[in-house]
Amino acid sequence: MLSFGKSTTPAHRRYVIRIMAFTLPYVAICVAMMTTDAFDDLMGKPAAWLLAAAVSAPVIGQIWAVLSLMRESDEFVRGVMAKQFIVAAGLTLAIATFWGFGESFAGAPHMQTWLVLPLFWGMLGIVAPFIRSSR
Amino acid sequence: MKNRLKLLRVERGWTQEQLGQALGVSRQAVIALETERHDPSLDLAYRIAAVFDRPVEEIFENPHA
Repeated sequence: MLSFGKSTTPAHRRYVIRIMAFTLPYVAICVAMMTTDAFDDLMGKPAAWLLAAAVSAPVIGQIWAVLSLMRESDEFVRGVMAKQFIVAAGLTLAIATFWGFGESFAGAPHMQTWLVLPLFWGMLGIVAPFIRSSR
Repeated sequence: MKNRLKLLRVERGWTQEQLGQALGVSRQAVIALETERHDPSLDLAYRIAAVFDRPVEEIFENPHA
C-alpha cells in the first residue's frame, strides 16, 4: 500500500482504523480456532457454517475499507492502489491456480482455500513498494 | 508527462503540501506529478492551470505535438 508516513491523509488514517477493525475479528477467530478447542463441538454441524460466515464477513469489510479509501483519495492514489490490487490479485490467482493443479496432478499437499486471503495481503505487501506510478 | 510544475511551485515559494491543498490532492500526488510518475486527468490539469494562472500548454509539454 501507499506509505503512511509524514504525508498520511485523514482518508489513510480512516482506512487504517477500518482495516484494523475488520482484521482483528478475523484474526481473533482464526487464532481461537487454531489454538483452542472452543469450536470443536461445531464440527460437522450446521452451526459450523455460521462460524464460517462469521470469519469471512470481515473480509467483505476489508474490501469496503479499500473501496472507501479509493473513493476518498485523489486520482493518483486511486490509480496506484488499483494497480497494486490488480497485480496482487493476479499473483494470488496465479499461485492458487498453480498449487491447485499441483494438487490435482503432481501430488502437492493440500492447501486450505482460506489461506488465499493471507496470501493476497502478503502479495500486496510484496508488490506495493514496487508500484509507485499510476501509469 | 514532462511539466514545469516544480519550477512554478518553487517560483512561488510553495511547499508540495501547500500546492496539494490548493489543488485538492495529496502531497503524494504532487510528488508524482513533479517526478512524472502520474499523468494528470484533464480536470486536474485545468485545476493546476487555474492555480498557476497559466494555460495548460505552458505547464505540460504536449507529448503529441
